[in-house]
Order: sequence, then C-alpha cells, then structure tokens
Amino acid sequence: MADPRAERSYDGVLRRDRLTRAMRASNLLLAALVVAALVFAAVGAAVDDTFYLRLATEALIFAGLALSVDILLGYTGLLSLGQAMYFGFGAYLSALLLMAVPSVWVALGVTAAAALVLGLIGGLIANRVRGVYFALITFGMAQVAAKVVYNTRALGASDGLLGVPVVDIGFGIGTISSASPAGFFLFTLGVIVALYIAAAYLLDTPFGRLLIALRANERRVPFLGYRTTAARLGAYVFAALIAALSGALYPMLRGFVSPELLFFATSGNAVIAVVTGGVGTLVGALYGSVLLTMLKSVIGSWTEHHLIVIGILFMAIVIFLPRGLMGLVRPKLMRLLGYREKP
Amino acid sequence: MAGVLDYLQFVLAPQVITGLALGVAVVLVALGLTIIFGLLDVINMAHGEFYALGAFIALALGWLGIPFWALLVLVPIAMVPIGYIVERGLIQRVFHSGERHVTTLLLTFGLGLVLEDSLRLVFGPNPYRPETPIRGAVEIFGIFLPTYRLFLIVTGAVIIAAVAFVVYRTRLGAIVRAAAFDRHMAASLGVPVEQVYAGAFAFGIALAGLAGVLLAPIYSVFPTMGRDFILMAFTVVIVGGMGSILGAVVAGLLLTQVQSIASLYISPVWTDPIVFGIMVLTLMVRPQGLFGRLGHG
Repeated sequence: MADPRAERSYDGVLRRDRLTRAMRASNLLLAALVVAALVFAAVGAAVDDTFYLRLATEALIFAGLALSVDILLGYTGLLSLGQAMYFGFGAYLSALLLMAVPSVWVALGVTAAAALVLGLIGGLIANRVRGVYFALITFGMAQVAAKVVYNTRALGASDGLLGVPVVDIGFGIGTISSASPAGFFLFTLGVIVALYIAAAYLLDTPFGRLLIALRANERRVPFLGYRTTAARLGAYVFAALIAALSGALYPMLRGFVSPELLFFATSGNAVIAVVTGGVGTLVGALYGSVLLTMLKSVIGSWTEHHLIVIGILFMAIVIFLPRGLMGLVRPKLMRLLGYREKP
Repeated sequence: MAGVLDYLQFVLAPQVITGLALGVAVVLVALGLTIIFGLLDVINMAHGEFYALGAFIALALGWLGIPFWALLVLVPIAMVPIGYIVERGLIQRVFHSGERHVTTLLLTFGLGLVLEDSLRLVFGPNPYRPETPIRGAVEIFGIFLPTYRLFLIVTGAVIIAAVAFVVYRTRLGAIVRAAAFDRHMAASLGVPVEQVYAGAFAFGIALAGLAGVLLAPIYSVFPTMGRDFILMAFTVVIVGGMGSILGAVVAGLLLTQVQSIASLYISPVWTDPIVFGIMVLTLMVRPQGLFGRLGHG
C-alpha cells in the first residue's frame, strides 16, 4: 500500500481511513462556505453595500483566530484561553508596519516571522504544563500582555493605534485597495482559505496524526517512539502563526487597532466559535465564527445585552451538543464520501 | 540610621499592611477556587463573576437598609443555594463526559458571561461606591491606617482559620478530604459524595461572595470587577498548588506582598508581569505548585 492512510476493508476495496475522510468532509463544507461567501460578495458589490461586507470581513478575520484555537483544542487537546495575545500581536505589528511601509506583503511577511519567534517563546513557557494548567497559563500570559499594552504610551495605551493608512494590495496583474469593501472581503477570504488549507494539509500528514495521538493519550505516544514535546511545540507555534496572520488583517480593515483585541473577550469569543462550530473539525471554527458574528449583529439590533443570549446558547451547546454544529452535519457527509471511493 | 527606620515605618509598613488587606481578600477568592478544584476537578471560570454577584447582592441589600454586619452573614447564605443549583443543574450534566476539565471550564466560562451581562442589565455598567462601614483611621506605631483595612485583615484571617479548621480538624472536613482523595472509596463507605460535591461548590461560591462584600467598600462595585481579580486568584492557586488550602493562603499572602512592595519601586503596571513571572518560575521548578492537593498528604 503506497499511502499509509488508505486501508483495505473486508471486501477488498481500498478506502481512505476515517480521519482523512473526515478532513475531506470538512473540505467540502469549506467549499460550500466559499461559494456562499462569493455569492455574498457579488450581491454586496452589486447593491454597493459597505456595512455588511465589512462585518463579514471581520467575521472572517476572527474565523482565522478561531481556526488557530481549533488546531490546539481539536487536534492537540490543548485549550488555549490566550490566543488573542498572538492575534493582537499580529494586529499591532501589522499596524506599525503599515504606517512605516505601506505594503501588505511586507506586513504579512514580517508578522509571520515575528509570530514564529513569539510563538516559540510562548510555547516554551506554556508547554511546561498540561491540561488545565495550560489553559490557565495561556490565559495569564495573554492577560499580562494585554495589561502591558493597555498601559504603554508608545502603543497608544487605551486608545490603541489610530490612522493606519489605506493600502493597495498588489498582485502583479492588478491591485485591490483595502478601502474597497468587496475587494478586501475577497482578499481576506483568500488569506483565511489559504490558512485553512495549510492547516488541513498539515493535520492530514503524519505530523497531524501525531497531534491527534497526543490528544487521545499523551502518555502512550512516547512508547511508539515519537517525541511529544516537539510535536506539541510545533502545534503551538503553528497556531500562533495563524492567529497572528489573521490579526495582521485587522488594521487593514478598520484602520486602527485597540487593546480590546488582546483582551480575554477576544480569546473567549474564538473558543465559543470553535465549540459552537464543532471542536476538531477546522471548518467548524469558520462556520462558528461567521454564525457568532451574525448572531451578535442580529441580537445587537434590539438589545445591547447579547452576551446573555450567547452565553446561554453556548452553555446549551456544551451540554447538549458537545460536538457542535459540524458534529451534526459532518458524519452524514462522511457516510456519503465513504462509499465507492477508489484510491 | 534614623532614615532607614523612617523608611521602614512610613513607607514600607503601610505598603505591607495595604498588601495584607488585599492578600486576605485574594486568599478568600482563591480558597473557593482551590476547594472546588481540589474536590471536583473543576476550574470555575465564573468565580470572578460570583465575587461580583456577592458585591452586588450586598449593594442591593444595603439599599434596603440592611446594616453591613448583617450582610457579612446574609450574602454568603444567599450564595449557597445559587452555588448548589449551579453544581446540580449545570456542572453535573457534563461532569462525567470524557474531557471533564475542558467541558466544565467551558460551561463555567459561559455561565460567567451570562452572570456578568445580567449584572450589567440590572445595575448598569457604571461603578458604585458603597459607603465605608467603618470610618476613621487607627494609629499604630505612628502609622495611620484606615480602620476598615484592619477590620478586613482581622475578619479575613478569622474566616481563613475557620475554613482550615473545618477542613483539617472536623468530621465534616475529613469527609470532604476523603471524597477528594478517592470518590469511589468514600462513596462505598457511605459518604454522600454527590452532596459533598454540591456542598463544596456552594461553599466556594459563598466564599467568593463574602470576598465581594468585604472588598466592595475599598474597590468600587461594577459588573466586570471580577475580571482583574480572578487572574490574581488563579495565579495564587497555581503557585500554591491547585487544590491546596495551605498553598492558597501562603501563595496569596506572598504574591500580594511582592506586588505591593514592588509597586513602591516600579510602575504598578509592571507588577503584574513580575507576579506572573513568579508563577512561570514555580511551574518550571514545581509544576504541581508549592503544596500538595486537598486530600493528598
């Protein structure tokens, strides 16, 4: 058998194993989301809408943060309550870079490189501990970082950084202005989908299987001859990278960054999005984030106390639907994919 | 020489006392957290919101004309049924799922959101400043200290000692420790483990509420008041050892002293990173914290 992920079933037909099939189901669900987003962008551009396109762009940016939470929680089994630290780091760094050099590619590139370094440092600290301690130490790191930024005058303190310029995103064949609602929505969609594809690819490799094994039983993995610390650290750094790159898009959309991006509420929202969408499905993080933004917008139109509704909904999902929305949809799709598949 | 003494008397000593008042309050909140974790294995993310709830209940009862002394008793009593219902109605529902740590943490996180927003709905987002129940200052060794802070330190110390006495020196405490050590063995010996769990949760919540009453006159009362406080409480619980009562007391007093004294020399903004740095160092040297878990050793 060339591909170790394919297995021969009792009737002699080669099939992809369950995890690969699950990932394919997620990929199909992503395709559905992308089609819906493209239709949305076309309609939005046709009616010359700004508000909803901007809101949807923000939903996608926060979906990137949720994606990074799911890589840790859904695959490695580590609950991070401080992913906002990397998200906010990306946003602040990108804002500073854009003010100095108005190039999106420079901003994204430098943010990615810096996020790798910061993720490595944070990972070395956080990966000292397991389980709930991990959740609490990531929570603590992010809170301290938020507090320091909130009180640092050079970073605009409580006001944040204002006046990030509008930039043109060059593609060689043409440019998109970050001020164009539909154009920047499509650009954000492209970046987030690219991050998803990178994550989906990585998690379907043997490295991804190792992470899943870590989630299942971390003590047994070393008996199979794998190093657990390196894998955990790798997952952590990768998640930090995705969070920072998503955050880097934020100042391009809004033209400012504020310390709220670093607060626990931001990390918490990402966790809510992942749990609502479905832990360990990747695509659930994206659906969850879009759904959460829609819900907030709808509830927010008649009351400012949307947290009560979202909190109750979230508790109901944790109790009654622990696999999230994708837990309802994906198994059905997997069953469809499972039949008559030739390698 | 006189300079050094003056410094100790007029700069350091007041700061130590202020830190002690804060420390006692942090210990009260951390005690609830650590007991709930030690017994139920649950990280109560809503603990800060229960602390705020206690302060708001005290505020509302205070408007009805109930004196402060009565509040110190009434509010914890009011918190007990709330905690009992939360444990029975919510936490027990996911208690037996595979990833208990994560699911209970998420559940209490959701509960915290609901509680905080409910408080904002009822009382509005602006801070209230309750009247200080004990006015004036006391002079000790030439230092003037607000009487209320001294009252807070003494009351807090008495409560902490009472909790420690109950847990380590009474039959009830033995039952609690037994249930924490091995729930199945305790259950087979006739300990109503489920009731002990619910009771311990309610007790932890009541302590948080009591801390809310005690601290309301010093800090203001507002819906997000638990947020700043809870990070310190979590740090204390981690450094002291999750589920350790002694650890919560020692680490709580130690860390608040560090914070308090450090703020003499550096901007208060940077005291949080120092305290957090101590936590990271502790985790590197002793991941289980300074002291052992409740019921273990």
